[in-house]
Amino acid sequence: MDNIIRKCLIVGLSIFSLSAISWTAQAEFPDRPIELIVPTPPGGGTDMTGRKLAEAAGEVLGQKVVVVNKPGAAGSIGMSVLTQVKPDGYTLAYVWNAPLTIVPHTMDVPYKTSDLIPITQVTGGTPLIFCVKPDFPAKTGQEFVDHIKANPNKYTYGNDGIGATVQLAGERIFQPLGMNLRAVPFGGAGETLKNFLGGHVDIYGGSIPPILGHVKAGKARCILVTTAQRSSALPDTSSAGDLGLSDKATELFRGVIGPAGLPADRLAILQKAFAKATHAEVVTTYLKKRGEVPIGSTSDEFKKKILSEYAANASILKGLGLSKN
Amino acid sequence: MDTIISLANGFSIALEPWNIFYCVIGVLWGTIVGVLPGLGPLAGLALLLPLTFKLDPNSAIIMLAGIFYGAMYGGSTTSILVRIPGEAASVITCIDGHEMAKKGRAGPALVVSALGSWFGGTVSVLVLMLFAPLLSELMLTVGPPATFSLMVVALILMGLVGSSSTLKTFTMIVAGLLLGTVGLDAMSGVARFTYGSLHVMDGISFVAMALGLFGISEILLNLEKVADLRPIKPTFKSLTPTFKDIKDSAPAVGRGTVIGCLFGIVPGISHVISTFVSYALEKKLSKFPEEFGTGRIEGVAGPETANNATTGSSMIPLLVLGIPSIPATAILLSALMIHGIEPGPQLINDHPGVFWGLIASMYIGNLILVILNLPLVGLFVNLLRIPYGYLAPLVIVISVVGVYTVNASAYEIWLMAIFGVLGYFLRKMKFDVAPLLLAVILGDRIELAFRRSLTISDGDFSIFIESTSSVVFLCVLVIIIMLQLLAWLLGYRKKDFEDGDAN
Repeated sequence: MDNIIRKCLIVGLSIFSLSAISWTAQAEFPDRPIELIVPTPPGGGTDMTGRKLAEAAGEVLGQKVVVVNKPGAAGSIGMSVLTQVKPDGYTLAYVWNAPLTIVPHTMDVPYKTSDLIPITQVTGGTPLIFCVKPDFPAKTGQEFVDHIKANPNKYTYGNDGIGATVQLAGERIFQPLGMNLRAVPFGGAGETLKNFLGGHVDIYGGSIPPILGHVKAGKARCILVTTAQRSSALPDTSSAGDLGLSDKATELFRGVIGPAGLPADRLAILQKAFAKATHAEVVTTYLKKRGEVPIGSTSDEFKKKILSEYAANASILKGLGLSKN
Repeated sequence: MDTIISLANGFSIALEPWNIFYCVIGVLWGTIVGVLPGLGPLAGLALLLPLTFKLDPNSAIIMLAGIFYGAMYGGSTTSILVRIPGEAASVITCIDGHEMAKKGRAGPALVVSALGSWFGGTVSVLVLMLFAPLLSELMLTVGPPATFSLMVVALILMGLVGSSSTLKTFTMIVAGLLLGTVGLDAMSGVARFTYGSLHVMDGISFVAMALGLFGISEILLNLEKVADLRPIKPTFKSLTPTFKDIKDSAPAVGRGTVIGCLFGIVPGISHVISTFVSYALEKKLSKFPEEFGTGRIEGVAGPETANNATTGSSMIPLLVLGIPSIPATAILLSALMIHGIEPGPQLINDHPGVFWGLIASMYIGNLILVILNLPLVGLFVNLLRIPYGYLAPLVIVISVVGVYTVNASAYEIWLMAIFGVLGYFLRKMKFDVAPLLLAVILGDRIELAFRRSLTISDGDFSIFIESTSSVVFLCVLVIIIMLQLLAWLLGYRKKDFEDGDAN
């Protein structure tokens, strides 16, 4: 038994000392692994695409990119961690819209958008979708709008949480058109789908992949996508653009960001590497399978995208009474 | 007949040498993550997921599912040996399991929980195979109103759990419900009782609380009598269950299986609820209810069987509807999607190999698990030979590492320490902490289900009696209360239920 304890101690000590080794030599950036914070639990869309991206970016950079999950508080824990690290480019984060453009409006978080530097937008173009049961009276997007307006406060739509992406994307369209629906928050698309199929809520609100199979099986009919363009997966479904609301469109996007103060030369290296990784074959095939479009934008383009959505969400959230300001 | 042919095809896939190999890897890894506190099936799946990208879809899903149900086996080990629940479904096992270990009967406790797990797991695969489409329809009828009604039943039954007096048990339940309100309110997005801290925004970490209240407090309590603690020397005889053990646990295993399969239709929480429903039932039916909490083998056999009997049901929404009902199955879903298999109503027809291969592999996997676990019992029990002076720091180190791995947050280590001290004082004052922990798990879900129901009905309370499945659960509730009242009127008042009827 003593032997086992001794072995445990040896293993423990060696792990400890390995982690304590510090890299002091100055060499070309990056000369050691890069940590990529993913502010969600493992297994979700952001985590899965992030892991694929990390794999490809590691090959481009010649250094491993390691995914570290820092979940919690709608992604804001991971973001706060990012703003507290040394801005040397060795700690970055991979996030979706919400922690950048929604959460700072609704919660008291210890970070501002200006504390972060957008590096590159990795995915985009992914719509959120609203679907109804096949026997729902409205067939097209416009009929849907008219029917809801004629029946205010009658219908419920499931979404992924109050003040979260689906609700905001929906309300951006519903509010200006004067549509009044009751939002029922669930713990994610799966739970929303279950309650929609079981008839507990009238409308499914969420991403496309979970419901696609049920549309094909004739159990659901999709009526509105939140993007300006129609979705290639469901070409018959009206888009925000069809309703004349292209400027109110929302798409799900994900991208790589770093802490403010990141030196310009390192930012350039990282932008180039992650944009290249975004278009690596292993990443693009995977993204296409999920119905997401690889982007790989410049830092400035990504910044503009974040700031415009951030500004648009401010007024929506005020209208919903969810803004903390 | 179709089922038999399909199953035969499934076995021909699952019995391919490589698939058996991946099944073994899966269940072995599942057992390990189940044994290690903090590292649950979720993290275990996420860690091995990248490995499956290059496998064929059948092998990938067989291995990943193995991790999922394998973790249910491992969870009981630390509960029994060191009173640390490996995961939420093993909280109940701590109560009698660890008492058995203290009496030198860790062997029988581990053996019975492995055999019970195997039986419950196998029956639940049988249920999955025979009734999957039917059960999936049934699951869809369970909306927020029915979930709420079920959890009220669970809450009432929780009064029977725990070894302290009824008043103390209910005090703990109320305290747990209150602690459960901490964090972001999902219905309004408002942060409650967080005092500006982001760390408790998602509620108080369950792992930190479980490790603190159970593991750390146990060590603190033992420090007082450390001089008297002698390592238990297990003999071969003490490893194997006696005939009486088998006789006592067999009915509990049977009932646990039924409970697990029944409650399985409310996936997401059933693996926890089924454990204390089983415990409460065993205690009620026992001729020696007062001995529960001092190491009754039924208190281990029932709940451990019940939580494994829910694993098959948890797979039903995933396989039949493409809906992940719990976080662990969400990872299985993404694994399917990576391989270009579109989960949803067409899965069984479009990819029969995946569906039936998985079913067959679950029979095999459960068998491998029991074969794997029985010899391990001897090894695990030997842990108790370690002098307490070494064992206690080892447990603390494992707990600290475990709690840190969940969210990579040092803050939660502090939280664990605080709950350790709290647990120490509570247990000093003869409060059982199990109901507290279970109430925290139920607390925010019961509230959410209630408020979701009322949002759907626009404030109309009749929604709770309009849904058939909700009415079923409410009837169960009425029956339980009536039985209690009847027992009370007839004078069969049991010590543990003095105040229970008032609810």
